[in-house]
Amino acid sequence: MAAWDLTVIVEELGPEAPPLKVSVTSELHIGGVILKIVEKTQIKKDWSDHGLWWEQKKLWVLRAAWSLDKCGIHADARLNFMPQHKPLRLGLPNGATVLLSASFSAPVFRCVVGLCQILNIRHPEELSLLRPLEEKKKKKVKSQETVYDITGASVTSGSMLTLANGMPAHFAQSAEYEAVYKILSVSQPAPAPETIAKTFRPANIVEKAQVNGRWLDSSRSLLQQEINENDMLQLRFKYFTFHDMTPKHDAVRLTQLFEQARWAILLEEIDCTEEEMMLFAALQYHIGKVSLTEPQMTSSPAMDDLDSALQCLELKLDEESGSGADMLDTMTPAPELHDYLKIFRPKKLTLKGYKQFWFTFKDTSISYYKSKEESLREPIQQMNLKGCEVTPDVSIAGQKFCIKLLIPESDGMNEVYLRCENEQQYSKWMAACRLASKGKTLADSSYSSEVESIESFLAMQRTNPGTASAQTDESINTHSLVSPRYQKKYKPKQLTPRILESYQNVAQLSLTEAIQKFLQIWQGLPDFGVAYFVVKFKGCRKDEVLGIANNRLIRIDLSVGDVVKTWRYNTMKQWNVNWDIRQVRIEFNGNVNIAFSCVTADCKIVHEYIGGYIFMSTRSRELSNTLNEELFHKLTGGHEAL
Amino acid sequence: MDDIDAMFSEMLGEMDLLTQSLGVETLPPESPPSTAMETNFGSVGFTDASLHELEDNDLDALMADLVADLNATEEKMASERGMSKSSTLPTPTVNDFSFPSPTAAPAFTPTSTSTSTSTSPVEPAASTSPLPPPQNSKPSKEEIEAQLKADKIKLALEKLKEAKVKKLVVRVEMSNGSSKTLMVDERQTVRDVLDNLFEKTHCDCNIDWCLCETSPDLQTERGLEDHEHMVEPLSAWTRDSENKVLFQQREDKYAIFKDPQNFYIWKKDRNTLKDMKEKEKEMLLEENFCGTSIIVPDLEGLLHLKEDGKRSWKPRYFLLRASGMYFVPKGKTKTSRDLVCLVQFDNVNVYHGKDYKNKYKAPTDHCFLLKHPQIQKESQYIKYLCCDDEWTMTLWVTGIRIAKYGMTLYENYKTAVKKTSSSASWTDIVTSNASTPSPTPKAKAANGHAPKPAQESAPTAPSNQSAFPPPPPPVGILPPPPPDPGLPPPPPASMLAKGSLPPPPPFSMGGSFPPPPMDDLPPPPPLDDDEVEMPPDFMPPPPPPVMGFPTPPLPARGFPSPTSGGRPPPPARGFPSPTPGGRPPPPARGFPSPTPGGRPLPPSPSGRILPPQPSPVSLATGSPEGSLPPPPPPPPPPPPPAVMAPSPMVRKAGPPPPKRTTPVSAAPSGGDFMNELMVAMQKKRTPQ
Repeated sequence: MAAWDLTVIVEELGPEAPPLKVSVTSELHIGGVILKIVEKTQIKKDWSDHGLWWEQKKLWVLRAAWSLDKCGIHADARLNFMPQHKPLRLGLPNGATVLLSASFSAPVFRCVVGLCQILNIRHPEELSLLRPLEEKKKKKVKSQETVYDITGASVTSGSMLTLANGMPAHFAQSAEYEAVYKILSVSQPAPAPETIAKTFRPANIVEKAQVNGRWLDSSRSLLQQEINENDMLQLRFKYFTFHDMTPKHDAVRLTQLFEQARWAILLEEIDCTEEEMMLFAALQYHIGKVSLTEPQMTSSPAMDDLDSALQCLELKLDEESGSGADMLDTMTPAPELHDYLKIFRPKKLTLKGYKQFWFTFKDTSISYYKSKEESLREPIQQMNLKGCEVTPDVSIAGQKFCIKLLIPESDGMNEVYLRCENEQQYSKWMAACRLASKGKTLADSSYSSEVESIESFLAMQRTNPGTASAQTDESINTHSLVSPRYQKKYKPKQLTPRILESYQNVAQLSLTEAIQKFLQIWQGLPDFGVAYFVVKFKGCRKDEVLGIANNRLIRIDLSVGDVVKTWRYNTMKQWNVNWDIRQVRIEFNGNVNIAFSCVTADCKIVHEYIGGYIFMSTRSRELSNTLNEELFHKLTGGHEAL
Repeated sequence: MDDIDAMFSEMLGEMDLLTQSLGVETLPPESPPSTAMETNFGSVGFTDASLHELEDNDLDALMADLVADLNATEEKMASERGMSKSSTLPTPTVNDFSFPSPTAAPAFTPTSTSTSTSTSPVEPAASTSPLPPPQNSKPSKEEIEAQLKADKIKLALEKLKEAKVKKLVVRVEMSNGSSKTLMVDERQTVRDVLDNLFEKTHCDCNIDWCLCETSPDLQTERGLEDHEHMVEPLSAWTRDSENKVLFQQREDKYAIFKDPQNFYIWKKDRNTLKDMKEKEKEMLLEENFCGTSIIVPDLEGLLHLKEDGKRSWKPRYFLLRASGMYFVPKGKTKTSRDLVCLVQFDNVNVYHGKDYKNKYKAPTDHCFLLKHPQIQKESQYIKYLCCDDEWTMTLWVTGIRIAKYGMTLYENYKTAVKKTSSSASWTDIVTSNASTPSPTPKAKAANGHAPKPAQESAPTAPSNQSAFPPPPPPVGILPPPPPDPGLPPPPPASMLAKGSLPPPPPFSMGGSFPPPPMDDLPPPPPLDDDEVEMPPDFMPPPPPPVMGFPTPPLPARGFPSPTSGGRPPPPARGFPSPTPGGRPPPPARGFPSPTPGGRPLPPSPSGRILPPQPSPVSLATGSPEGSLPPPPPPPPPPPPPAVMAPSPMVRKAGPPPPKRTTPVSAAPSGGDFMNELMVAMQKKRTPQ
């Protein structure tokens, strides 16, 4: 039993210190080695998180019962003795960077579970870590970035304590931590247009595919993948099947998902049409605005409950008793609007332009008269706005406040323009028109908030487009809400009315509803949730694109972008990877076989993507919340699997 | 008390105002539109009258009101049917009628009521219960004054509430050419109406049944979605609209859920998808409908577009997205950013176009269009699209519906499936109930649409009048169907119970007339009413009005022997006779009523006698239309047509389905309202 010297570098002794030489025999188990190392350092501290890292083999030597011999460690090995948990800079979907303690020894999958636990994100299996894009000049910029240090936050036991406001207990230790939690759970103000323009965005499908080459391998540890202490990684939703999303418990998850979706849209990672972009912009604006006013979203669940309870109660009252109050209420005279406005009806082919009349708005109808004095007589015309389309035609600079009405009639749409004198008048009449188009009257409770939101939206136009970066008050640059393509296409002036148009459909949503709506529309985009990889199919010389979605694989022609073929997972019989030639082979029902090698990503990433989605699809059936990690690794681990 | 009094009087004032305004607004407009649907006036009138009267005659007044309502409704129907062209007449006639009814009522109640129009008691239950109370009330009148006041307030409130509810009388055309007339209020969804029709027609209740709106002007057709409020699409129809509502089976209604693979994997050959396993279909549905957002089928392809009022059809490459329908502009690719939005779905509905090859020189006959529901005539704002084949069109139309309605569509489907599975057992129960009371085996006949055996209750009905207690039975019967309180189904029961008498007779004849199952509304009745007016003496019969409503349903069901046998009462009331005679009345209205003239002889006398109950008349008329009322008027066969005379065009043919089938008049209905009323009244009484 010959003893030999094992070379161990202990971090705690400092980078300059010579490596320790520990005398061991091959039969000594790892636990014994560690004991000897600790004794030799003569440092008293908690060593429980420390482990041995075998640098040459890129291996953690963590099995305390194994002997050195069994681990294959001989005299030529140089081991590092270091903590398994180290700080990691983590870029969140919302752009914030936090410094927190991550496990460098556990597989990335487990590491992400730990990170998500600290961040209070449920269903961590949907997320993973992405290497940041390597950029040359960005170094300097990064140094300016604020990094929120929450390395002190650790979740002690399995069960998470949550405070009354939905904040986990480990964020309650200090004001700074609470502030960080707010950053996590409340969506960020709209970015400056310049930021959007400067940030990298994939220009084509190949660049989109390259992004997916940066995912870390879930079955190996951070250190094995050459991620070191204080390195930067991005935490992102990877599998786009969001299981059991409940606003009440998922404040951070929902917010971060929204942020990821918003950036995906702003950076044109996912294509959408102009109409969709305007709606996204309107929702972003609304979410930004409501986030400022509404307290923490986490406090809303209780409010929701209360609200719904109240609503139920109201309904009941309404039904049960004759609802006297209600009835009396409706008997009070309905509010009306009266004013001199100008009207223009392009239909008539007259060039006279706008003519002034005395207008009355009652219920859902507009009537106009020659003058105020005539208003007791028959109106010149009465227009019922129910079901009509209301479009703003506004220019603050030009002091133009017009409302375009498209009023449906049996023989078509009646086009009418109303011109108001000023913002206040416009806001009132516009709000009335909008409500009327939905069949609501001025008496509706939402009228005043409608007026308000129109006013505040108008205020957007007043601000100087050059400045605005943060959405600190009412003012915001509409260029912050759209992708660079539309920044180029439209001036803020042109953009505002278009966004306003969409905004009228979402202005009444609560914060949570707005976020959910945003996510819904995002998920409704045709290309949603498709991860692209450039591959070479067996037998083909050309590069092609493979899209992996939650339910299918898509073969896409690289040059044209057309979908060539779609295979659904439920017709898939098996898939496997030949790790020697790095080729993925998939067999479908009916003897359909495909095989391809991957160009822009390691085949392990592709393999993991497919296996990951299949794993995700198994979740819905078992309602238990426990994460079946073993199954995940079985499906994604490849030859390194357990 | 003072407070209450003050409040009450205030409310009365308010209500008066309301009525007035309503009268002004709704009535005039309605009259012109033969098809008009707004019914507000009816209910309004009701409120007024009832309120005032209640003080003294509470129940009686109510009944009178009911009668009036009936009259109004009937009149409307009559005017619409008969007078399709003569739009002006209806209004005036209405007024006349309403007055008459009040007059009749006066016997019991002050004439003041006359102003009130009518609420048609759709609900049988309500109607039944009310009847008995009146009798009781008479004796107790003075005793219960205090209570009455409380009642009044409640009633007033309820009426106000009801007055705000828009109601329409809708004529639904069955697939066999017959039709049923239903009272629909604005709270009812298409699903409710379908359930109602299931009960009335005893069809197989499968999920493909659908109400479909057609427009001859535009040559369009659209299956109404189950969640839509029935009144809404109909409200867009113009007054002289020839539009119809059809009750038919449409496979495409829920095809998406039965065979989702055909829509979501549409690129594959459909034959290969044929034998997809149920489990896989479920997975598809789950994937597309059960996630956080709905996935719209990714349709794309070449369609021909005609828009902006241009004549030509331009081929364009279209793509469907959740946010709207897009096409690829010339020289661009189909990347999202380049797409041009043709239309977003918030404000438009999708319609099938019929025979557009002829009408618009479309490349094929497989066309669909997108338009605002309000647009009823050709317009540059309608987007017409033409597909190469029928299946492509189904794909697009279904895809657009998914994009527009999303999850709602799936929920509709699930509800429909549930209803279907439960309805089978349901019908059984109903039929059994009915059968028990009445020996006649009507139940089986039910399966045909039109011929449904009358309510079983019929037998009981006769007795009802005499004994109040019985009313409950009808109620009991109703409960089962009661998907909606205000729904028609109950009415039949009520009819049976109360008025069963009148209706049956007519029905016997009615049998021949398959079309008008729901004849309650039929225009003819109004005529009768007019005549009826004359004989105020009969006022007591107020109940009959109630019956009137119910009766219509009966005809639909089955005139069989039971009706005649069980109904005997009607004759007693003079209804039967009135019916025949009733026709003549038209003169009163100023109707030319040429046909009536032919009949005049017998009817007129009888009509006079009968006058009391306009409603009965209505029944009678309905029946005549359908067929001759067996008992009283032998001549009936001709008379019925006469009755119809006002609407000679439509009804004369008798057999042929009414042109206007659908929508028509707004009727003051209010099954709910009636129910509420009755309940309220009974509540008050019981404590005493």
